[in-house]
Amino acid sequence: MDRRFELLQYVTRRQFLANASLSLGSVALAGLLGREARSASPPAVNPLAPRKPHFAPKATRVIYIHLTGSPPHLDLFDYKPELVQRDGQDCPDEFLKGKRFAFTSGTPKLLGTRRKFAQYGKNGTWMSDAIPHLHGLADDLCVIKSMVTDQFNHAPAELLLYTGSPRPGRPSLGAWLTYGLATENENLPGFIVLISSGSQPNGGKNSFGSGFLPTVYQGVQCRSKGDPVLYVSNPEGMDRDLRRLSLDALRDLNQIGAQEFGHPETLTRIAQYEMAFRMQVSVPEVMDIAREPAEVLEAYGAQPGAASLANNILLARRLVEQGVRYVQLFDWGWDFHGTRPAEDIRDGLTEKCATMDKPVAALVRDLKQRGLLDETLVIIGGEFGRTPFREGRTAKSDVLGRDHYPDCYTMLLAGGGMKPGLTYGETDELGFSITRDKVHVHDLQATILHLLGFDHEKLTFRFQGRDFRLTDVSGRVVKEILA
Amino acid sequence: MRRRLLIGSIALTIPWISLSAAAERVDFNREVRPILANNCLTCHGPDEGTREADLRLDTREGATADLGGNRAIVPGDPEASEMVRRITVSDQSERMPPPDSGKKLSAQQIETLRRWIREGAAYDRHWAYVQPVRPPVPEVPDGAWPKNQVDRFILARLQREGLKPSPEADRYALIRRVSLDLTGLPPTIDEVDQFVNDPAPDAYERLVDRLLADDAYGEHWASVWLDLARYADSGGYVSDDPREIWAWRDYVIRSINANKPFDQFTIEQIAGDLLPGATEEQIIATAFHRNTPTNTEGGTDDEEFRNVAVVDRVNTTMTVWMGTTMACAQCHDHKYDPLSQEEYFRLFAFLNNTEDADLPSEEPVLSFFTDEQKRERAQWESQIAALEKKARSKEDDDRLAALRKQLAEMKPHTVPILRELPADRRRKTHVQHRGNFLDRGAEVAEGVPAAFHPLAKDAQPNRLTLARWLVAEDNPLTARVTANRHWEKLFGIGLVATSEDFGTQGDPPSHPELLDWLATELVAKHWDLKHLVRLLVTSATYRQSSRVTPELLERDADNRLLARGPRFRLSAEAVRDQALFVGGLLSRKMYGPAVQPPQPAFGLSAAFGRAMDWETSPGEDRYRRGIYTSWRRTNPYPSMMTFDASSREICAARRPRTNTPLQALVTLNDPVYVEAAQALARRMVRDGGGTPAEKVRDGFRLCLARPPSDAEATRLVQLHENARQRFSGQKEAAERMAGVSPVPAPPGADIVDLAAWTVVGNVLLNLDETLMPR
Repeated sequence: MDRRFELLQYVTRRQFLANASLSLGSVALAGLLGREARSASPPAVNPLAPRKPHFAPKATRVIYIHLTGSPPHLDLFDYKPELVQRDGQDCPDEFLKGKRFAFTSGTPKLLGTRRKFAQYGKNGTWMSDAIPHLHGLADDLCVIKSMVTDQFNHAPAELLLYTGSPRPGRPSLGAWLTYGLATENENLPGFIVLISSGSQPNGGKNSFGSGFLPTVYQGVQCRSKGDPVLYVSNPEGMDRDLRRLSLDALRDLNQIGAQEFGHPETLTRIAQYEMAFRMQVSVPEVMDIAREPAEVLEAYGAQPGAASLANNILLARRLVEQGVRYVQLFDWGWDFHGTRPAEDIRDGLTEKCATMDKPVAALVRDLKQRGLLDETLVIIGGEFGRTPFREGRTAKSDVLGRDHYPDCYTMLLAGGGMKPGLTYGETDELGFSITRDKVHVHDLQATILHLLGFDHEKLTFRFQGRDFRLTDVSGRVVKEILA
Repeated sequence: MRRRLLIGSIALTIPWISLSAAAERVDFNREVRPILANNCLTCHGPDEGTREADLRLDTREGATADLGGNRAIVPGDPEASEMVRRITVSDQSERMPPPDSGKKLSAQQIETLRRWIREGAAYDRHWAYVQPVRPPVPEVPDGAWPKNQVDRFILARLQREGLKPSPEADRYALIRRVSLDLTGLPPTIDEVDQFVNDPAPDAYERLVDRLLADDAYGEHWASVWLDLARYADSGGYVSDDPREIWAWRDYVIRSINANKPFDQFTIEQIAGDLLPGATEEQIIATAFHRNTPTNTEGGTDDEEFRNVAVVDRVNTTMTVWMGTTMACAQCHDHKYDPLSQEEYFRLFAFLNNTEDADLPSEEPVLSFFTDEQKRERAQWESQIAALEKKARSKEDDDRLAALRKQLAEMKPHTVPILRELPADRRRKTHVQHRGNFLDRGAEVAEGVPAAFHPLAKDAQPNRLTLARWLVAEDNPLTARVTANRHWEKLFGIGLVATSEDFGTQGDPPSHPELLDWLATELVAKHWDLKHLVRLLVTSATYRQSSRVTPELLERDADNRLLARGPRFRLSAEAVRDQALFVGGLLSRKMYGPAVQPPQPAFGLSAAFGRAMDWETSPGEDRYRRGIYTSWRRTNPYPSMMTFDASSREICAARRPRTNTPLQALVTLNDPVYVEAAQALARRMVRDGGGTPAEKVRDGFRLCLARPPSDAEATRLVQLHENARQRFSGQKEAAERMAGVSPVPAPPGADIVDLAAWTVVGNVLLNLDETLMPR
């Protein structure tokens, strides 16, 4: 072999070993080490080569199930008997003063839950009858009742939750993690997005985008019909053998180019085409839930060929099992305003919950059984809470619904270093404010990053002169909820 | 980790920062300012709100002030300086920077600070805030290499580094490089042959002039401006409804092609509506700042999001023209640069009095007819006039009525614009505490930061004044930022690598004198951007071969020293346009509403919005250039995003360039690229001569301009033969592979052969050299 080419290969290999130290890799590496990350150079080597976090992580994978629109936590987890007592009364002024609501003005009426609540598990976790399958999981779940956000409209609240800023343009949680950790299984993307119930999330692609990070870190949105990952199938008429033949020719020609011109990026491209070839097999395989035994499909309520939250939750398990770091689910239809029967906190909620609580329960049990729960962080929740009073527009209708509420709400976490069976935080007797252990969305972000082995203040990226981070300028790791 | 760090840091630091000789005085801007900015100024900087111990180290006055018996810096006497004591003291409770900040000065940095204080602790203004002075062009002994002044600066530096420039690239590489760089399209085989065989000494210069005059030039360069302006064909946020604003995109293309002076281009976009006797074109230009997203989600506070849009406009303006990270001063005084929060809102005040609000209606808009519509209307009007004059039959009356109806009903297009509020509805601007629009501080009037040049004397405090300030002759930044942006586009990386940040946190320029020379040249030539681009692409520096040795790669991986020609992957738009072009599919139709090329279906709607999937545009609109592709913010065109296009949410000064397996899947399997391969196959079969080797040569040249080497040709002929064998007897598979194409195959073409050539075409479109020109 030509000595120049040998040298080039040596240099390139060394760069791989050096954790992709040139360009992109160096941006990430320098960022991780809290040094200046200002290289603007073109990428030379694989930006997705696996990397290590700041310290030993509790969790290595995340499944985040977002209930888009935000479920009524007061009808699911946060039981308020006093609110039931005062149902129908005028909402006291003190709770309205100086506040802005999306669809309520004047004096709304308090709305007590119509659900039956009971305590479950060793620690007596409160849950309503809308989520019967979760009752048996009380000892595995960590319920945070004291979540708070700054935003009361969907898009800004969802963006704040996922990107740390209510405006579009910043990297999402999954992108930060992929930037920090890259991918474990090089034949699959490190960050996969699954969407059900017909609509995109409120933040659009920003909720799983890469913002100012390179687009290689954005979530790869999989489809339920057609190619699961875009363009993973060969063109019609080309089988796998022929693809191999053509890639062999492509590799040979590119090798000639690499020898002649000496650009390391050429060698990277050769490697990326080989990875693409492997993905062509690994992606359809992992995305095919029909490969699951009947009893597993039954436990999740999944049906091969359909597009549902249940299918996506089962898929998420398959993906983390194969080493995907971060699987983000979005399920539309949790915006319980009461503008139509499907958004009623009685039957409407029962029906919507039925699509969620069975597969979620199956997921937690399944992960546990496979020994994956310890390392897999499962997160379930919306972008804010819902009001303890009836939504203004629908106050006179037969349908019972609640408006957006940022001041307190509930989220569920399980596995991945969370304290199981814990209920954390409290709200006042009517559910208007937090009385104990407030957890801001920035705190949640800091805690998630911590579980994955990152100091949220050090996972930064310099953009337009500033070291940005997911938690903006705040965030506290909520140590109290960690196992 | 240690080993990684070591190698990583070598790779990071070796390439281009040359260490100054030990005997030289410490250079404040290059050596001291970065130490202070990164380690001290967060607590001892311009931000009064977070300043500790009343000490500020960003000014000499602050650093040398007597703070009750001690002074942080005593010029000339490091040992008497409290700062030196605190950065060297072993007691951790006194140590600076505080150990819990995670910051630590190296021994070398401490020594630099000592030397600087010993030499008198001179503070120089940050280089970028000082108006550039035209530097002398370096004398270089090698008279043969430089083709223009640019090269003298580059060569002088190379010589200091003990390096030599590379030889000129061959003509094939040159024409392909410069065609793609200037127009985003590759040359045709005829154009290549003409240039390669042109014996005239100015063959290359004439080629450049032809490309600069090509309409494709404006289409290509417009994408840079569209990224900066966060242009999209939708309003953003949840429902992300369609927005009709393409007239502004066309304004950009037309302006670039007409080589509109950059100062005029600036003034029209910031304040075209305020120009005396503003033309329709100048008013359309103001849509620049109407590209901000609109939040139509139910229950949102419209004033909140109008305010967000104005914030965006302030930040975008300062990034685009001044390379200044003004956004940092929205919530507090800037941590590093001399920009206060009050100054932020004084700039805000300039932009806070336009009529637009955060409403679905997009008002105010300008209604207009396109040139084509105007032609039609003129025709109808003359027909009406003719009919009105003559004695009319019953049919004539019907025809007249029909024409009048047609004329009345023709719908104009619209474009959102800026319009100033009338005097009685003007808004007051207040400082917004922590950037919260409800938390108002003191009222402020229009003004510019004190660190920059002043506004023109006695000028009205309005947008027009702001616009003129941006392109004023004493503006230290706009010309540098603009020249640098053009350099970056052509060389892959700017002279200032952080092209969005010329502040103290940004990178220092690799060639400061060259940057200043280019900036002053731009202003001296009345902001003639084509002159600037011509200067860059006709330089010997640009024309070098991009071949690189491992030694040079180790020495200068990022090619900051320019000892070789530029080589980097094409932009997202160019990757796609090139594939369509070499397949003979690309439509050259210009302007008009955005188009919908084939896009994979997702079966989803935007939140509270309409379906994300679209019907593919009919006819040639399927094959228009990427710049005309409909850009929906919640679902930007997937294959272009995979190739690092901007999502157009916020001002993006530069795109990262990645190299990923998902890109490979796009160019291998996306139906757009498969169609291109099918069309390319037909061209090879039709025009490529009799033998497989001749056809290979033809396809190769369509993609790469140069003819293949024997080894390359042999390998492709072999692939064709292998593919042929596999398809023979598999007519159905062959038919699907060869597909149907608007590019006709010669009559009687064998389908198996065509399928095999499609496989070859697919490989050609995926060659490293196709995607990353030499």
